Amino acid sequence: MAKQLAFYIDTSACTACKACQIACKDKNSLPVGLLWRRVYQYQGGDWMPHPNQPNIKSPVSMFAYSVSISCMHCQNPLCVTNCPTGAMHKRDDGVVLINADLCIGCRYCEWSCPYSAPQYNAELEVMTKCDFCQDLLAKGEPPACVAACPTRALNYGELEELQKQHGGLAAIEPLPVSNITNPSVVITPHKNAQPSGRGTGHVANLPEEI
Amino acid sequence: MNTREWALVVFTILTQMSVGAFLVLGVVHFFVSRKAGIEEADHMSDRALVAVIITLGLGMLASLLHLGNPMNAPKAILNIASSWLSREILLGVIFAVIAVVFVAMQWFKIGTSSLRNVIAWIAAIVGIALVYSQAEIYMLVTQPSWNTFATPISFFTTTLLLGVLAIGAALVTNYVIYQSRNPESVEIQYDLLRGTIRWIAIASVILLGIELIVLPVYLALLSTGGAAALASLGMIAGKYNLVFILRILLGFTGAGALTIFIFRNASIVNKKRFVTLHAFIAFGLVLIAEVLGRFIFYATQFKIGV
Repeated sequence: MAKQLAFYIDTSACTACKACQIACKDKNSLPVGLLWRRVYQYQGGDWMPHPNQPNIKSPVSMFAYSVSISCMHCQNPLCVTNCPTGAMHKRDDGVVLINADLCIGCRYCEWSCPYSAPQYNAELEVMTKCDFCQDLLAKGEPPACVAACPTRALNYGELEELQKQHGGLAAIEPLPVSNITNPSVVITPHKNAQPSGRGTGHVANLPEEI
Repeated sequence: MNTREWALVVFTILTQMSVGAFLVLGVVHFFVSRKAGIEEADHMSDRALVAVIITLGLGMLASLLHLGNPMNAPKAILNIASSWLSREILLGVIFAVIAVVFVAMQWFKIGTSSLRNVIAWIAAIVGIALVYSQAEIYMLVTQPSWNTFATPISFFTTTLLLGVLAIGAALVTNYVIYQSRNPESVEIQYDLLRGTIRWIAIASVILLGIELIVLPVYLALLSTGGAAALASLGMIAGKYNLVFILRILLGFTGAGALTIFIFRNASIVNKKRFVTLHAFIAFGLVLIAEVLGRFIFYATQFKIGV
């Protein structure tokens, strides 16, 4: 069994097609408003007017890249620390899960998580979140999001193995700095990726996309 | 803000007010019994104690409206090892139980007064721990607008400010009831009440002063924070600026007007009705101010990250 399962995100290969997001929503039959996996389109840069013809503008240091995230199954999960009932817990393989029978729907995990992973299901009246497709994992199959990615930008595996292969980067904009919760994620940065906390761009998605 | 968040405003305000009122009543009882004996002190404060319990009960009920699945609420104490929310619920329940036991013993004069004193002290300490745990809940590293020194300070000032003014209103109400039932022995109670209200006025002005020092420091702190802190500041200065200003004005008017009135008219004995009226107006205005302040606290929260 894995010590700490983790996702791998190759942001240099991601095209923001959102197949992962939709595969997740479909696999887990998520209602409107809930997205356990979201693709953040981070963009920035400016337009500079032509010196002689101010109406003609050219792009200056423009960039755009996207980051697909779900629950980071953190090594220091604040949702687990703060959950009053212990409904939120970390399994032996590092996956963070919710026991719906214990959840009281207080949404304290939602306030605690900097990745918006725990999401409230108004119909069930409890919190829900990415469970790493534990049913598929048990059958030896990859999570739905990983299986759906057309550019192989998403993968999963043992955190230490992924770090050996791809390095230890765990945060780029628009994600928060990684020392808050120690997310179990390995990121290959896009060539224009900006360091967390020092971003010059903004998330450009439509509100309903994230 | 929806029902869920209003439930938190009501819950935190009412529990803090009841803890504050319990503490203040303890202080009042101590000084009044030294001055006029335990019996007069009991006449003054017993009814107010019952009001404290009712307030606490209403606050705890409001907390259930915050939950998606209130049937599971008793399970909220399972994670006291690491969750301040669990600790808050546990301390709230312990405070309620001890306070109810104390009030019942006090009302029916069960046990010696020194035994009741010991129980009241335990309740007071648990109550202070309860307010502290409520503040700790919001000291989340992911919530810059909450994770400042201002959260514990303002929770405790709210506790004491609403505590003193609620007791002011409760004592004048008690006096009116007492007066109608014991018309012949009422003068000593009125003197005690007048003296107490003076101290309440002084305390409320000091506490309001602390709030007015904390607020600008807090806003300055937000302005030097990251993007989330600036977003919170933007909400306070933008969308909720009128609420913010109203909150300060109401607090000032409530506590300030009471104090000025009390000190200008302290010597005029036949203005009893005005004392009653002012104690209520001050309490009402400051209560609204504190509710607005707590509303802003929840409504302008911005999380870091995505």
